[in-house]
Parts: sequence; C-alpha cells; structure tokens
Amino acid sequence: MKDKLGIFAGIGIAVSVLVTLAFFVKSAGNIELSDIASTGIVITLVAFAAFVLWDRLKNINKGLPATDERLVQVSYKAGYYGFIAAMWSAVGSNPLAGIIWNIELEGHHVAAVVVLVSAFVFVASYLYLARKGDSK
Amino acid sequence: MKTRIKEFRARYDLTQEDLAKMVGARRETILFLEKGKYNPSLKLAHNIAKALKTTIDELFIFED
Repeated sequence: MKDKLGIFAGIGIAVSVLVTLAFFVKSAGNIELSDIASTGIVITLVAFAAFVLWDRLKNINKGLPATDERLVQVSYKAGYYGFIAAMWSAVGSNPLAGIIWNIELEGHHVAAVVVLVSAFVFVASYLYLARKGDSK
Repeated sequence: MKTRIKEFRARYDLTQEDLAKMVGARRETILFLEKGKYNPSLKLAHNIAKALKTTIDELFIFED
C-alpha cells in the first residue's frame, strides 16, 4: 500500500512538472536554444522518474516488492556518485567555463550546473548499477 | 562469490520470479545473485536458503 502511494505521488509530481513545462512552452514567444536545452533537461529527468515508477509498478503488479535491499544499495551508491559529481562541478565549473568559453559564471549559474551535473550523474549511475552494475 | 541458487531452483522447478516472491526480493536481485554480481545480506541469504530447503553454506561458495 505504501509502495503504491509513493508511486502515485511520483506520477502526480511528474505530470505536474510536464503540465508546467507545457504551459511554459506554450506561453513562450520565440523559443531560443537555451529554452530548448532547459526543456530537454526537464524532459530527460521526468523520463527517468517515469521509468523508475513504471519499473516499480511492474514489480508490484507481479506481486514482487517495489524495491529491495539491492536497489536501496544502488540508490545509495548512485547518490554517492552524484554527490562527488556535485563537489567536482562546484569547484571546476567556473575554471572550465573560463577555459572553454572564456566567460565567468555567476553564482546562480554555478548552482544550476551543480544541480544538473549531480542529477545526471545520479540518473546515469542508478540506471547502470540497477541494470548491469556490480553493487557489491 | 559463487552461488548454487540456480541448481537448487531447478531442483524444485522454481523460476527466478517464484523465488523472488518467496524471499521478498526483486527478480533482478535473484538474477544478480546467480551471476555472482551481488552479495546478499545475511537476512536475504538465510531467507533464500530456507526457501530452497538448504543451508547458507551449501548455497553460497566463498572464494578467498
């Protein structure tokens, strides 16, 4: 029951994000590259969330647990990698931006980079470890 | 670490899904256990051994 509630809450949040995104895209006048990139990032993260929810729902429908000890360990390990990526991106994003684009990032840009990099590293690690990885 | 889960599973004509349901784990966890890609907790190892009517020592082969 608790698993199903969590899944339905996740679905509600994902749908809310997509609806908000739809309103944003509809109300935006000229869509620029940065808007497309932002939309793409949001859609990618929502797609990941949808995949995780679908996977859990599939298991519940089969009478299996939504998550077990291995998946919890996978989540911890992916979170650890995401944290490491966050630290490195916090330190390295500004120097890297200076080297590649010769620009200096402002604080909110660095914060956005940190959040995005750690989110993507978490997603990639989770998918890899859950499907193929060695979570010993 | 190697396991004999597949061998014991075949003995009782159980699928990975059947065994997963019996021990409260996901099917992928049983798959990873059989491939030797995951070390279970003592609790899970005990549950699997109990479900397959054997002991942990018989089921899991520890390599030094």
